[in-house]
Amino acid sequence: MRDAFATRTKKSLLYAIIVFASAQILLGSLSSACAGQTQPDPAGTATGDKNSAVDAAGNPFVVPEPADKTAPDYVTGKKAFDEYQAQAAREPLAMKLADDVGHVRISTNFSWTLLTGYLVLFMQAGFALLTCGLVRKKNAGHLMMLNFAAYVFAFLAYYAIGYAFQFGAVAVNAAPTNLGGVPTLNHFLIGSGSWGFLGGKGFFLSGPAYDAGSNCLTLFEVVFMETAGYIIVGAICERITFWAFLLCELFIGGLLYPISGCWVWGGGWLSQLGSSMHLGHGYVDFAGSTVVHAVGGFCAMALAIILGPRLGKYGPDGKPRAFPASNIVFVVTGTFILLFGWMGFNPGSTLGATDLRISIVAVNTNLAAVAGSAAAMLLWYRLFGKPDITMACNGMLAGLVAITAPCAFVSPTASVMIGIAAGVLVCLGVLFNERVLKIDDPCGAISVHGYCGWLGAVSLGIFADGTYGAGWNGVGAAAYLGRAGQGVTGLLHGDSSQFWIQLGGATLLAVYSFGATYGVFSIVNKVRSMRVTREVEIEGLDVPEFGMLAYPEDAVEMLTAGSMTQPR
Amino acid sequence: MKRIEAVIRPSQLDQVKQRVIALGVTGLTVSEVRGFGRQKGQTETYRGSEYVVDFLPKIFLSIAVDDDLVEPVVEAIMEGARTGVIGDGKIFVSSLEDVIRIRTGEHGPGAI
Repeated sequence: MRDAFATRTKKSLLYAIIVFASAQILLGSLSSACAGQTQPDPAGTATGDKNSAVDAAGNPFVVPEPADKTAPDYVTGKKAFDEYQAQAAREPLAMKLADDVGHVRISTNFSWTLLTGYLVLFMQAGFALLTCGLVRKKNAGHLMMLNFAAYVFAFLAYYAIGYAFQFGAVAVNAAPTNLGGVPTLNHFLIGSGSWGFLGGKGFFLSGPAYDAGSNCLTLFEVVFMETAGYIIVGAICERITFWAFLLCELFIGGLLYPISGCWVWGGGWLSQLGSSMHLGHGYVDFAGSTVVHAVGGFCAMALAIILGPRLGKYGPDGKPRAFPASNIVFVVTGTFILLFGWMGFNPGSTLGATDLRISIVAVNTNLAAVAGSAAAMLLWYRLFGKPDITMACNGMLAGLVAITAPCAFVSPTASVMIGIAAGVLVCLGVLFNERVLKIDDPCGAISVHGYCGWLGAVSLGIFADGTYGAGWNGVGAAAYLGRAGQGVTGLLHGDSSQFWIQLGGATLLAVYSFGATYGVFSIVNKVRSMRVTREVEIEGLDVPEFGMLAYPEDAVEMLTAGSMTQPR
Repeated sequence: MKRIEAVIRPSQLDQVKQRVIALGVTGLTVSEVRGFGRQKGQTETYRGSEYVVDFLPKIFLSIAVDDDLVEPVVEAIMEGARTGVIGDGKIFVSSLEDVIRIRTGEHGPGAI
């Protein structure tokens, strides 16, 4: 038995190494074949020069030579270019200084992006505490391991293929100029131009992705992907087997999240519908209400349906039963850690501290959080006579999830309204899932992340006030709605097309995530049940799955282990 | 020798302990337990679903005493544990065959 296990492990290890090595060789040759004019910059010494030097409004220091001689503004453009050339020849020292300014600007943005990425990384701890506190004590160890393994395995999947799928063509339509533009990631695997469906450069973070700017983006984006990865834990916990969970994480990190992420953030087709189909600024999701949260939430919904409710959740009469939280202290602490981490999630999504909108983003994020929590607390007070602590926490997260898409484009007052709407929706969503759909979601992940994520992206189409985002997704760089400097604008401020693209895009992402997950994992579940056995579920998953309890004082045999065997 | 056992409110433990020690009782064992009496628990809601808290937290204490101390100790527990509201608990008195001190091997009242 043990020998068979050892050979099996050795064999699968060998296979893994062979697959890994051949993939590396294949991709290495691919990337060298595709090698164009720009080279990656692993040392970071060539990222950020005078081309990155801009003023507060984003006007560049370097004046480019106009290429199109038939353009109406060719003459003024050519004149500006000639003047710039003459000045540059007169003042070489100023040109050297501009190189320094550009480099310092990129460095500032690197620091900001990395530091906010570290804040988002810390949200992992918040989520582990929140979900662990919300489940029964007998499954606490299992919950912690799920949260831990989510980070580990989804990260590796994202490193191998996820990042390349999502950002392999980011320079084509959505170059992150705040980080130097990562010009080497410029190839769609499927699609091209405004109709990109899947990125195709940077597998295993090698070749064109072995670059300082690209890795700054990687660190920030991988922790976002991890957020989608751990959202599912809240809905599938207390009954999923560990192997099935690992498959889920590889699926999310390698395929599900990067594909839709490419459509919105990687310069893919959904973001370009503004320039290609004249639908507002294309689909806009600032920090991921849908790209991260709705995708995670609806993936969780599909998995929760496939797994079915926990044993005893619904009585013979079909009425839901309560499984009270085991540790409210963890729940509240975890929620506050998540709020703190969100100060990286949203303001960090500018990818640069030189974008001074960050202060408004931070305030909006906090306002929606408190408004969402207040709404959920008071609504529950009214409905059930006592405010529920766990629902107050869910309300705060609902406000945060909903404000994540619109946080940069709306006013503080609009943020409060979005937060209130989310706080109400999360309560109704929890009751609807539990009583009508009969989907067992122990932590409310579907309602918090799925429903409120969808709400957030749609609310952007309503409340965006046009003060920020001029030129977003390549739309209206010079003027929009007849006004210079007009940014992303919603229904209430005169752009109904933005509302429709938001409504359609958010719904599409929800359906995509639910459908893809349901399709793949209902097959997996037919091949081999993803659920633990009845006996294991009753006993608690900690010992059958991992051989130990979260709290050893719960087991008498663990208490006596290591005690005195001989009297002194 | 008698064994006096009592189920009391956790909040009253300190009162009971002070009174019992003042009588010269040398040992007291307590454990955290849950239970219900005639009141049968109470109904609460968690995330919109109702549930019944059948077993409320109580303290179970056990004291071994020589016969002359039985009445004063019972009185002391009653005084310390009583709040007058439903749920104050119960006292059980039973006879004790023998007491043995493990360290020395003594038997009987001297071992209490």
